[in-house]
Amino acid sequence: MSETPEIKELKLGPLTIRNRLALKLHDLLEERFALKEVLDEEVFTKLAPTHLGFLSCFGGITFFIFLLQVLTGLLLMVYYVPDTEHAYKSVVAITNDIPFGWVVRGMHFWGATLMVITVLIHMGKIYFSGIYKAPRELNWVTGVTLLLLTMGFSFTGYLLPWTQLSYWATVIGTEAPSAMPVVGQYTKTLMLGGQEVSQLTLSRFFAVHVMILPITTVSLLAAHFLQIRRQGISGPM
Amino acid sequence: MSESVNDEHPADGWDEQNVTRRTLIKAVFAGSALAAVAGALYPLVRYLMPVASGQTGKKESFSIDANELHVGEARFFTFKRHPAVMVRKSEQVVAAMSAVCTHLGCIVKFHEQQQMLQCPCHGGKFDLSGRVVGGPPPKPLAQYAAKIEGGRIVVEDV
Repeated sequence: MSETPEIKELKLGPLTIRNRLALKLHDLLEERFALKEVLDEEVFTKLAPTHLGFLSCFGGITFFIFLLQVLTGLLLMVYYVPDTEHAYKSVVAITNDIPFGWVVRGMHFWGATLMVITVLIHMGKIYFSGIYKAPRELNWVTGVTLLLLTMGFSFTGYLLPWTQLSYWATVIGTEAPSAMPVVGQYTKTLMLGGQEVSQLTLSRFFAVHVMILPITTVSLLAAHFLQIRRQGISGPM
Repeated sequence: MSESVNDEHPADGWDEQNVTRRTLIKAVFAGSALAAVAGALYPLVRYLMPVASGQTGKKESFSIDANELHVGEARFFTFKRHPAVMVRKSEQVVAAMSAVCTHLGCIVKFHEQQQMLQCPCHGGKFDLSGRVVGGPPPKPLAQYAAKIEGGRIVVEDV
């Protein structure tokens, strides 16, 4: 300890780091990106308004659950097989044979349910506090689109275990839009990839669930958050 | 303010002679944080590691004394962690198969008088080789290899 007298204290706002490795890493990044200024301004000295309460946290809670869904979803994809012959078997194997598989699947399952609940609470808070009003109308539109994307996640994810329940839920969920005038049949065919729930349906639901929806959601989340940063958190009622 | 006074104390590191309350608390917190990280990583590593039993390539087998199963009788047992059934068709011929109905996964029952396996849930009927002879099952029962060897009935995975 005594042979390194040059050790110094590193102050990042209220956070203090006294560690040689952290100091070196910090110097390395600081020289190149001047992170201290940004971090101080955006993270360490940025204070939340005092009028925010528990209900104001549901957007953040939803985002946290979304991150968990991404993590557990990636883990499930390691063992899941999107094939009508093997989908159910692979889900049973994840639940019963793979160590901790039941935790991963359980988190993904309950996370999905919780995310719909928290997103609705978040929406209710924004609606009843009138936060959607000008100049935040566009963020309301982004938010409602994100709600629809969450519903899309729920609908496509429900088919993937290929159980009786998921099969018939998809039959009903695709029959309903087929009742629309003019575009109904086209919509149904587009969703199913044919006239009935088959391997083609499972494949496209899988693609939508693990690629199309996540990419769209992450882009819209970025837009959602940037708008909040630019416009600031709305004042008390 | 007492914080900075303590921090400048020469015994800031782990020195047995001079363990301050602060260093002890710091060590305890660091230890807890490390334990929490390890606790979160352990399931992750276990999850991603291949299942050990599926790796050995050793076939699972089950055996009983041949005298325990008379001709025309059936015996239920657990094989590959699922219910299975063996039927002695004749003195020398034994059949073994999964007892899980291929319709919706109920456990089939043995009917001695009819010499048939029947599913109590939706009336699926299988003959003693596991072939579907009636009811809704879409596929025959999964077969295992069974033989009589040195006075024992041995069932192995095919």
